[in-house]
Amino acid sequence: MTQLDGCPGSKMVDSRDNESPEETTGKIKSQLKQWPIQMHLISPMAPYFQGADVLLTADCVAYAMGGFHPEYLKGKSIAIACPKLDEGQDVYTEKIKSWLEDAKINTLTVLIMQVPCCMGLLNLAQQAVQSSKRTVPVKSIVVSLQGEILSEEWASQ
Amino acid sequence: MEKYLDKGIKAIINQFPKVENILNEYNIGCAPCSIGSCLLKDIIEIHNISPDEEQALMARIAKAIYPDREVRIPKIARKHTAGHKGISYSPPMKELVNEHALIKRLLAMIPEFIDNLDVVSEDGRQTIIDSVDFIRSYADKYHHAKEEEILLKYFDEKLDIIKTIYEDHEIGRAHVRAVLEALDDRDKKTVSEHLNAYRELLTEHTKKEDEILYPWMDRNLSITQIGELFSKFSGKNEEFGDTQKKYEDLIDKLEQKFKLKEALK
Repeated sequence: MTQLDGCPGSKMVDSRDNESPEETTGKIKSQLKQWPIQMHLISPMAPYFQGADVLLTADCVAYAMGGFHPEYLKGKSIAIACPKLDEGQDVYTEKIKSWLEDAKINTLTVLIMQVPCCMGLLNLAQQAVQSSKRTVPVKSIVVSLQGEILSEEWASQ
Repeated sequence: MEKYLDKGIKAIINQFPKVENILNEYNIGCAPCSIGSCLLKDIIEIHNISPDEEQALMARIAKAIYPDREVRIPKIARKHTAGHKGISYSPPMKELVNEHALIKRLLAMIPEFIDNLDVVSEDGRQTIIDSVDFIRSYADKYHHAKEEEILLKYFDEKLDIIKTIYEDHEIGRAHVRAVLEALDDRDKKTVSEHLNAYRELLTEHTKKEDEILYPWMDRNLSITQIGELFSKFSGKNEEFGDTQKKYEDLIDKLEQKFKLKEALK
């Protein structure tokens, strides 16, 4: 049952009738190796960002993706943000630039949901990279509400 | 049929010539390859053939090898597969593809160049020297150096596909040496032959890399490795300074020269 009107980012979706044939058994090990993770709280100069492969992910992604920890977070450092609801996002641009110029990160992967408001996070990351003195490979991954990968692309340099 | 999966493709083609035509229909051109020892099973993964196409291709190859009986078609295990949405390169591979674009502009000029070859006059000889300089300094020292000193080191150099690339580079270098020796002797015929051979070699080589090798590499590199490659290529670009601009200008100059010659005919 879904609502027909309203913002796609907050539109109600009820997927309870969709039976998932796969069952995961056993404990999945956490791949989180740092704290904090929220973009307002992280310091780009933290040791786990130095030369790292960084994952900049929208808040909702980890809840949508069953395999987030082993398939995407493993081996990376992370920051999370909501491009729709977070305030003071100017500091995000400065932090991304600091990742690039000061922490000299290796790569940046931006993981967002398929809802239109999430694109703001990718746009913010791309603007920061374009205005930075140093560039790295940037990958964008779009995730469906059902946790499937809709697209996985390298951003043009 | 299993025993043929671990056999070199050229050996299979030599024994069963129909296999070459079958592969060509799937845009797998193994015949012109300088080594041709890629195993049949590796070709399926390297060319990223879809499961349906794999089944059809293997069935036809099996028929060519065993025309008189039905055989079980083995399924080939793959490490990585990609979607079929067209080629999307990682940033370091895209850089190499863009460098190919400049090399292909020189290759496109070679037939015209050969038609107007002048090994006697200073201007004619300088045109040949300029072209050789592009090949040696840009195509080889700059572009192939990135491949040999950086990119190929990320892979097992004993892999047939990697050995093929090194082999092509060496053959290209031999042609260029032969051009210069022939130029010293004012031997127009030999200069033409080696320039043409170089053109044919590099045309096939760049196509192989753009369409097969680089996408295969992208599928087999981790994001960490892609970041490292990007950084190392940036370092190489800094080391070579204004090489890219210098040789873009040279290609522009040569293209103008040949357009002028064409206009004066």
